[in-house]
Amino acid sequence: MARDNPQITQSGASPGYKPTDTGDDVPDFGAARQHTLVELVRFASDLRSEGVRVPASATLDAARALAVVGLGDREGAANALRATFLSETTDTDAFEAAFPTFWHRLRSGLDRIATAHDGPEPGDGDDGTGEVEASPGNSAADDPDTLDDADPPELSGEGNGEVEVRIPTERRHATGDRAATTGDADARRYSAVGGRERVEAAVARLTDDETAAIDRFVDALSTLPGRRRRRSTTGDQVEARRALRASLQTGGAPMELPRSAPSPAELRCCLLVDVSGSVLDTVDRSVLLSFADRLHNTAREAGVFLFDTDLVEVTTQFAGADGDPAAALRDAEIEWGGGTKIGGAFAALRDRHPHAVDRRTVVVVVSDGLDVGDQDTLADSITWLAERAGAVVWLNPLAVSPKYKPESRGMATSLPYLDALFGFAEPADLAEAARQLEHRGLSGSVGYEYDPRRADSGGDSA
Amino acid sequence: MTGAFDSLTEAELEDRFEAADYVADDRTVTTVNLALSLGRPLLVEGPPGSGKTELGKVLAASFDTDLIRLQCYEGLTAENALYEWNYTKQLLAVQADEGTVADEPTPAVDDPDPGADSRDRSVFGEEYLLERPLLRALTAGGDDPPVLLIDEIDRADEEFEAFLLELLSDFQVSIPEFGTVQADQPPIVVLTSNRTRGLSDALKRRCLYLNVEPPAFQTEYEIVRRKVPELDVAVAAEVCAVVGRLREESFLKQPGVSETLDWARAVAQLRTDDADRPLSADEIERTLGCLLKEAADVGRIDTELLETLEAAAAAADERVEA
Repeated sequence: MARDNPQITQSGASPGYKPTDTGDDVPDFGAARQHTLVELVRFASDLRSEGVRVPASATLDAARALAVVGLGDREGAANALRATFLSETTDTDAFEAAFPTFWHRLRSGLDRIATAHDGPEPGDGDDGTGEVEASPGNSAADDPDTLDDADPPELSGEGNGEVEVRIPTERRHATGDRAATTGDADARRYSAVGGRERVEAAVARLTDDETAAIDRFVDALSTLPGRRRRRSTTGDQVEARRALRASLQTGGAPMELPRSAPSPAELRCCLLVDVSGSVLDTVDRSVLLSFADRLHNTAREAGVFLFDTDLVEVTTQFAGADGDPAAALRDAEIEWGGGTKIGGAFAALRDRHPHAVDRRTVVVVVSDGLDVGDQDTLADSITWLAERAGAVVWLNPLAVSPKYKPESRGMATSLPYLDALFGFAEPADLAEAARQLEHRGLSGSVGYEYDPRRADSGGDSA
Repeated sequence: MTGAFDSLTEAELEDRFEAADYVADDRTVTTVNLALSLGRPLLVEGPPGSGKTELGKVLAASFDTDLIRLQCYEGLTAENALYEWNYTKQLLAVQADEGTVADEPTPAVDDPDPGADSRDRSVFGEEYLLERPLLRALTAGGDDPPVLLIDEIDRADEEFEAFLLELLSDFQVSIPEFGTVQADQPPIVVLTSNRTRGLSDALKRRCLYLNVEPPAFQTEYEIVRRKVPELDVAVAAEVCAVVGRLREESFLKQPGVSETLDWARAVAQLRTDDADRPLSADEIERTLGCLLKEAADVGRIDTELLETLEAAAAAADERVEA
């Protein structure tokens, strides 16, 4: 977007433009019009450089809109530009931040043009616009409005204290082959700002059974009968349009009745993986990564995000992983193993990637729910997530323990908003989750508490 | 571009809204005025119950034209939204035609069945067409353009959104068997969205954008006073204060303006005597079903929150501007 600026400067001092001011008392309307257009184009490109998706035709619309509301009223002009430049609520902040600068430049330029008509000299109009074309930084610094609007940089110092969390490490060894923890300690200390480290994990070779378990889980989540219909020989509805066309061949007697059936609507997946220290100590890292990798490859348009105290999108890394996601993450210099701020991570998803989640998305969260962030932030953001997403499924590594209860602060806050909470430490757990989903669906009684293996391993139901 | 609303000023529009008891802030008035005078569709986004659909209805009422409403849902197809052929009528016509076709001379070898072709043309004429909302909006005659309200566009799928593009930019639709239908008079188009998914850039580019947020206390108070005149004015202020306080909680479903109005009516209905007594915690708790529509949300209301709400109601009088 930076290359837009020279073009604008050029058009502002366009050699083709001749000042219409002839030295009488009439203000230079031509220059005013030119100046307004130049400022509009520059405002649009400023917004674009701030990441606002301003449609290509919006500047034209904005100019027409300004012509309707006029330039007299600041708030009216702002409303007109909001209606034409914006199409996302998330872009509002960028607009509000950039508008005072635009307005200041526009008004001061117009004032100059209005006062300059007394003693016009050749090139006077150019001087006027030339001054206005000072770099955005300069004019912003001159503008008291802008300074008032600028927020001080936000300090995120809260929640740095150490917290003690108790993790039941007693694991069920129903399948026995991969115990995730050593079980020697029942309480550990984690810090919210725990040291991060580079991504290290051996390349895990999933067995066929494990791969099948993951695929089955993704399938169970993502296939729902849709409302659109497609041709089918065994469909339950007659397709009237095609039946009529076919009947023309037989003189209006419908001999064959083409049928249609609902075409399955695939849901997208959005995977949010907690890579804080506590999770990495509980789950086998290579299993975690290969699960994410397999899910990314299987599900339709799956987005993958890692979070500890911050959220980072790694969809492209997984897309180029070629069987070794750890290496791809390492190459991208992504680190993991910090503390956990689940609420902050969800809020970051809302603010930075709002379209990663929509009504056709199943959000799969892998996290132990041991949250050290602000609980109000978590409540707010999980509310948003639950409302926005088609479904939210939480995979908790701790929930494989027969004695597990979702009592940690983060998990207790999130629980009412979840469609299902399953245990997850190895792919076999996903096969169980898939089994429940296939039988009872997401709206049915599904979750870790219905896992039959729980009762087998001696945990009481109370 | 349309010409019909070129001379419309914001003050006139405000008067019309006023006459229709629609309380709109400056941003809404300016944006609607722009949509009318530039002849562009208006995309209104906001949470449920914030008065988006009402805006379309009020526009139709205040310009005294037809409101043509298309409720979107997943799987909505062109047949439901635009037009459908009257298959029964077509089939009967084809069958009735059969005798005359048989009497015709034997078709030439290179043209095995010309009769089918002529029948094909005849049954795909205007008389066999059933108009659905979109086509009706384009072909509606009359002096004033109708208001076309495409409600909850985010519920329709992407395919339908793409299908709307031609309609929204050129106010015309193409019917394969029939040709292009152009609007005699471009309708006033209002699209609403609950923001449950992102709309495509192509759609957004064609529309003016208006984001509706839950109203500020004063605006909502004004709305309640106008729409629920039977409720005592002081109690109306308390109602708005309580709803405003409730919106600060993180609920699954935030109460919108329509919930406020429902609740205000409920409160007015239950007060047979003593109409201006202040809202009590007990009264709030009993009528909570008007405001909160999720079991999980209702479950979060405890004594502490009720007391906070009561306190908010008590402080309402001071917030009302003269």
